[in-house]
Amino acid sequence: MAGRGMSRMRAWAARARGFFGRQGRDGQFEDELQEHLNLLKERFVAQGMSSPDATAAARRQFGNTTLLCEDRRELRTLVSLEDLGRDFHYAVRALRKSRGFAMVAMVTLALGIGASTAIFSVIDNIMLSPFPYKNPGEMVFLRVVDTQSDSHGRQGYTAPEYLELAEQNHVFSATTAAAEDLVLYKHGEGTDQLYGAHVTPGTFEFFGMPAMLGRVLQPADYEPGAPPVFVMRYKTWVTRFDGDPSILGKTMVLNETPRTLVGIMPPRFGWYEADVLIPEKPMRGAKSSFAGIMVNWFFLGRLKPGVTKEQAEADATVILQGLARVNPQAYPQHFTVKAKKLGDTVVGQFEATLLTALAAVALLLLIGCGNVANLMLARATARAKEFALRSVLGAGRARLVRLQLVESLVLALGGAAIGVLIAWGGLKGLVAALPQNVIPAESVIELNAPVLAFTLGVAVLTALIFGLAPALQAARRDLNDPLRDSGKGVSGGFQTGRLRDAVVVVEVAMSLVLLIGAGLFMRSFVALRATPLGLRADHVYQVQLLLPRSRYEKAAQMRSFFEPLLARLKAVPGVVEASESSSIPPYGGVESRVEIAGKTHAEDWHALIQHVSEGYFRVLRIELKLGRGFTETEVNDARKVAVVNETFVQKYFPHQENPMGQRVRLSMLQSMGDPVAEPWFEIVGVVGDVTNLGLQAPTEPEVWFPYTVTGSGAQVLMVRTKHDPALIANELRRAVWSTDSGVALDHPSTLEDRINARVFAGPRFSFLVMTIFGCVGLVLVTIGVYSVLAYATARKTHEIGIRMALGAERRDVLEMVVRGGLGLVFAGIGVGLAVSLVLGRVITAQLNGVPAHDPATLAGTVLVVIATGAMACWIPARRAARLDPNVALRYE
Amino acid sequence: MTEAKKSEVLQGTLDLMILKTLHALGPQHGFGIARRIEQVSRDVLQLNEGTVYTSLLRLLQQGWIVAEWGLSENNRKAKFYSITPRGEKQLAVETENWERISGVVGRVLRLEGEG
Repeated sequence: MAGRGMSRMRAWAARARGFFGRQGRDGQFEDELQEHLNLLKERFVAQGMSSPDATAAARRQFGNTTLLCEDRRELRTLVSLEDLGRDFHYAVRALRKSRGFAMVAMVTLALGIGASTAIFSVIDNIMLSPFPYKNPGEMVFLRVVDTQSDSHGRQGYTAPEYLELAEQNHVFSATTAAAEDLVLYKHGEGTDQLYGAHVTPGTFEFFGMPAMLGRVLQPADYEPGAPPVFVMRYKTWVTRFDGDPSILGKTMVLNETPRTLVGIMPPRFGWYEADVLIPEKPMRGAKSSFAGIMVNWFFLGRLKPGVTKEQAEADATVILQGLARVNPQAYPQHFTVKAKKLGDTVVGQFEATLLTALAAVALLLLIGCGNVANLMLARATARAKEFALRSVLGAGRARLVRLQLVESLVLALGGAAIGVLIAWGGLKGLVAALPQNVIPAESVIELNAPVLAFTLGVAVLTALIFGLAPALQAARRDLNDPLRDSGKGVSGGFQTGRLRDAVVVVEVAMSLVLLIGAGLFMRSFVALRATPLGLRADHVYQVQLLLPRSRYEKAAQMRSFFEPLLARLKAVPGVVEASESSSIPPYGGVESRVEIAGKTHAEDWHALIQHVSEGYFRVLRIELKLGRGFTETEVNDARKVAVVNETFVQKYFPHQENPMGQRVRLSMLQSMGDPVAEPWFEIVGVVGDVTNLGLQAPTEPEVWFPYTVTGSGAQVLMVRTKHDPALIANELRRAVWSTDSGVALDHPSTLEDRINARVFAGPRFSFLVMTIFGCVGLVLVTIGVYSVLAYATARKTHEIGIRMALGAERRDVLEMVVRGGLGLVFAGIGVGLAVSLVLGRVITAQLNGVPAHDPATLAGTVLVVIATGAMACWIPARRAARLDPNVALRYE
Repeated sequence: MTEAKKSEVLQGTLDLMILKTLHALGPQHGFGIARRIEQVSRDVLQLNEGTVYTSLLRLLQQGWIVAEWGLSENNRKAKFYSITPRGEKQLAVETENWERISGVVGRVLRLEGEG
């Protein structure tokens, strides 16, 4: 044993030496041969030959030395570059000779490689490196987390908190903060809303990005008394101002302050997704608020080199705990600070969708590999003679393997080239289908260097996967058999046949997994669409209104705006009903603690609370179950009356009590910017449940009350129309601006469009992507099953001829071929089902209302695969059955 | 052309002959192996002596022989090959194989002759 190990090691050592130091070792080998020649010559001279004759005789007896050295190199080196180049040349030549094969193989691979490239571009651009800023990996934001609850924690800070963190920390080389500010931009016609951000001094230095036009904000802009200026984002400049460079230097009225536009940022700058960036220095003692909500600064720090996230967390915890000692009510009792990378702000659950898509694409690629491997195996069988000849002529085993692998590589690279084209086109469709709210503002989805590197890597890997089996097969071959075999009667050799069958089984299994995934996402999407909203979203137009806070703070001020506006809207022809609201379905209002008069309970009671005007339930056609809706008088008089949903009744009046006339306290209203002193409301009606936490979550208890009670909260306008609601857009804008031209309209659209964009886009994306991949996979598998059967029957032509000559019916032949093919399909289905059941658990979280082992989906998918498989078997079977025995027997 | 036509060395049999030579004589250099085969085959076989080296390399790779540099009888530097235990085992197997096959071939040929 020891001797064996040693000698093997020695053989490998010899190879390694051959690889690295070819010159020296070859020299020694040549010396050895030369010495042999010398000895031969000496012998011939001793026998009486002349010196030249002896040399010639020695050479004759020894044979060709050059060839020997070649042989030796072949044996001793792993691979050499010049040989590889030669192999490439040869592979291209060989593929050119069989163009059909090469094209089919490359296109098959291109589909897989293209799809994976497209998906990887999305992943790279929105998950791996979405930010164009200087060293984005160093940027962290901080979150105050209550250690005793599992809540998300807060990530907004007051100005004093920010200043304390910025000044006292030991871990950040720079800090910045941004605070959201809804900006009303007043122009000639009316008012538009822009999404603004107040940014602290040094923000642009922090990100390390210069302006594209003009300049960024400078320290001088933050000085008291400095002329008010702002900077605009590229996207806003293009979409709202048509990319007009002359607006640089113009003055715009933003939140009633005239400001000069000093710079436009480059396309990929998207910090805080802000349309406009306004300089603001956080000051201790300054107090500002919007709609009753404190202004919060979102903190971003750049870690000093060598500082870890954990060190930053510890440092920030110490600073904030110091503040908590002074101001304990602003913090949870026990808390710690968590640092998160900038990238963690976005994507979130969409990550799972993308990774699922990537897995699907990998399956697709593997199916493609399977097809090409089978094609190569078939081709290798057909070329067995060629290889045997090469072998006999002296090509080593390693050489043959390499030749095949290089051929695979050429195919894969060709496939990659076409794949990049497919990806380039597919990416456009993909970007259009992506749900918008999950993508970081900074990311631009495109084919870039890392993506192309990925493609190249995939191509090489692919070549190895599909090329190895045929290559080894070629090398293992017995030298004599293929030279003798003319293809008669033998079905391509037992072993190759087995391997090809196995590949088909695996392909069918993988495509079944893909299709089941697609089916589940489709069912899930359909279930989501079918989820009863509890309201009728058709024929409804909605828009959020932004009212200048200087003039609209109190309930009475709100009423002075909405009362005439609603009256005006109801008078517009085609308008059925109009209403105010504080939120947009399928989301309800804000969460509040609730109390019910005369009821005591140990745990906290909660409900979503939403303010509306009397038309709300009619606009959305929400079903009244008990009592009545609000009357116009109740709303205009700001009476404290409430309508609750059925869940509220079931949860808080579980004993069949009559909820009518009961009094409910909405605690949240007490602490709003425009507080309600005694927030007790009398229940006057019960309506059916309306989804209020999105479509996937169960409905929460909800309470509606008149909007005239408080001036706090958001303001939304909902209009039901007789005809296409989109036609009302202009009328609506005119009505709003003729009531008050300082009010801005935010995201006006039909309610259906909004729900589509916000709720359905994500699941639709999963479903679309999976369905496309599933179908492509199915097509590839069909081609795979077909080509294997077609090849096998072609090889068997002679055998079939004999069978028919011996009396087999056409039906028998048909049956023989179809049975062989379907056997493989069924085996694949068995494997695929098993794999799907295991993998199903992974995607359960992304499914809505459909179990991962949904029998209907499984059954349907299996039927589709069987049908397709049968079709793929039928064509070669028919061809076989139609054979003329006379021709078949002569077939060579 | 009075010389009787020499037979070609059958593929695969050279390896066997070299193994046997090394087994019988102990460590040998290439030239020595060639001489020994020539001598034993009594000039019946036509041997391209270069192929001995190909065969030696093949055997080295299989781990059936090992090589070492040393000095030849006439004090020249030469590479000496010797059989390994694994090689011995292989030799036994191959020898048995060969005997069986040549026996069968012989019987078949005799049959032909009688027919």
